[in-house]
Amino acid sequence: MSSVAASPVSDSPASLKTPRPVLQLVDVRKVFDGFAAVDGISLDIEEGEFVTIVGPSGSGKTTLLRMLAGLESPSDGYITLRGELINDVPSNRRPTCLVFQSLALFPHMTVGDNIEFPLRVRKMAPEERRKRALELMAKVRLPEDYYSKNVMLCSGGEKQRVALARAFAYDPDVLFFDEPLSALDYKLKKLLEKELKDLHRESGKTFVYITHSLEEAMVMSDRIGVMRAGKVVQIGTPEQIYSTPADRFVAEFFGEVNIVPIRRAEGGWVRKDGKPVAVAPGVSVDGDEASVVIRPEYMRFVTDGAGAENTLSGSIFNEYSLGSRLQYQVRSRTGRTFLVEVPRAAAWKGDGEVTIGWDAVNAIVVGG
Amino acid sequence: MQTVGRTRTHFLIRAWTAFVVLAIYLPIACGALAGLSKGRYFAFPVKILSGEWWGKTWDSLEIQVLVQNSVLIALIVTVLSVLFAFFGALAFARYPWKGRRAFQRLLLLPIFFPQPVLGLALLLWFNALGISPTWKTAVVAHLVWIVPVVTLVIAIQVFSFDPVLEEAASDLGASRLFTLRTVTLPILWPGIWSGALFAFLLSWGNFPLSLYTAGADSTIPKWLYSKMVAGYTPMVPALGTMSTLTAAALLLGGGLIRFLIRRRAELRAREG
Repeated sequence: MSSVAASPVSDSPASLKTPRPVLQLVDVRKVFDGFAAVDGISLDIEEGEFVTIVGPSGSGKTTLLRMLAGLESPSDGYITLRGELINDVPSNRRPTCLVFQSLALFPHMTVGDNIEFPLRVRKMAPEERRKRALELMAKVRLPEDYYSKNVMLCSGGEKQRVALARAFAYDPDVLFFDEPLSALDYKLKKLLEKELKDLHRESGKTFVYITHSLEEAMVMSDRIGVMRAGKVVQIGTPEQIYSTPADRFVAEFFGEVNIVPIRRAEGGWVRKDGKPVAVAPGVSVDGDEASVVIRPEYMRFVTDGAGAENTLSGSIFNEYSLGSRLQYQVRSRTGRTFLVEVPRAAAWKGDGEVTIGWDAVNAIVVGG
Repeated sequence: MQTVGRTRTHFLIRAWTAFVVLAIYLPIACGALAGLSKGRYFAFPVKILSGEWWGKTWDSLEIQVLVQNSVLIALIVTVLSVLFAFFGALAFARYPWKGRRAFQRLLLLPIFFPQPVLGLALLLWFNALGISPTWKTAVVAHLVWIVPVVTLVIAIQVFSFDPVLEEAASDLGASRLFTLRTVTLPILWPGIWSGALFAFLLSWGNFPLSLYTAGADSTIPKWLYSKMVAGYTPMVPALGTMSTLTAAALLLGGGLIRFLIRRRAELRAREG
């Protein structure tokens, strides 16, 4: 096995200039029976950052997290924590803690015993343990009398808080989260997202969170990494990912979008039907095939008074209310479905046959 | 309509329960009565009741030795079989490995093997090895049959155990031993307890294996059988009843201890 001295970080001149990342992954791979669940990921996670890895199920995000937590060792590549190679350091000797999807609370213990577990491992005195547990319970907003409650009698949200308090009791440098909110109802999820974000800010610890929900990622993260088939296809701030997706996959993953396939032609780009497409200047795409991505809020109805740089005609076949906004499904002549989202005040008054369009500045051109 | 249906269902449940209880306990009650008979022979109805044969059974040196043998064998079998079965159950119910399914089926086989044949086979085997049969060889014979049963009993509990709990414990800094002591064992405890109870009772009541492999040493079932075949006295039903009562007392005692432990934990939790 490689020694700590062989760590790629210690002899990298770049690490002298920039603040050293708390976690660094260099070309990490994990192969199960010939299948690469994680297929070469390089990633730097800075001190105190909230990084979320999103991706559909099977994209390898859980395997990635399990390697970071020490529950799985990489087949290839390096994982370093504060410059030290931790590839083969077992989970109980890493200053990191994972909040599992199932939470993995100990069912035969009370709330207090669950939170005190890591303190018991460290042989802390019982009174001190209890004091610390009560502090942590206050921090995650659990009532004090829950201390002696059987953990299995707690509600979903309460269990969530117990798991969080237990992880904080371990006092890790980095906290990992494996979709801990996926089983909760919407309202509770929103509340806990906010509380988690607050806890992150207060504690100053590094959080690495994985989810398949774009919404969760957007609300909480400093940076988002998008995973697909074992690779990170794009990493950046939520704003960067939202406004400049790296490819069609990222664009489609990040919510409902309209996609218009285009190809390169003499003097610009054309649609499948040969109609020229206006694209924003400075588009750089490799290859001759590309897609124009237009978010529903940038697609609008074209009328005599308000034109658009690109247009297509079709008929409305569905209308949804999104509260303050309305969404229309428009089927084009070629049978493709487009989404048009407008404020309620601008509801479409005309008949079902419509022309819709978009301006080049509001569209993104991605490869593939 | 629904209430009528429910009433009828309730009546049927009660009637069935009463029938089952009667069918199981009537013979036992008859046996108990036979032990309280003053007469020398097994005959109904019992004419004169007396505690004479109970007293004789209680005082008999021969029976004292029998009980000692049976208890000793059962205790050793319990400890060893729980030990083997616990790790065996963990091996196939907790860890994925090639051949675990085959191992599970292979383990089931001795349970379906007729015990008298198994006993005879073991006796021949002991002879071939030059070991003369005593209560110690009976322990080995019991283990061959009881370990698979106990393994299955404990495995049921292990199957419902979530291995993520062990990962979580490790992630929180616990060593393997600490995790075993504070997480795995306490959660699997009910299964281990049931397994131990099964082991004790199956060994305590086993006749065919003891018959072949205990040699000159006798156990309670062996003695009961030999006396039924030749030389019947009411000590037979008396000892049978005593043995049943002891088993019932053990079960009740175990239940009581569990109840008290749980209550103490609850009280402590409420105070804490």
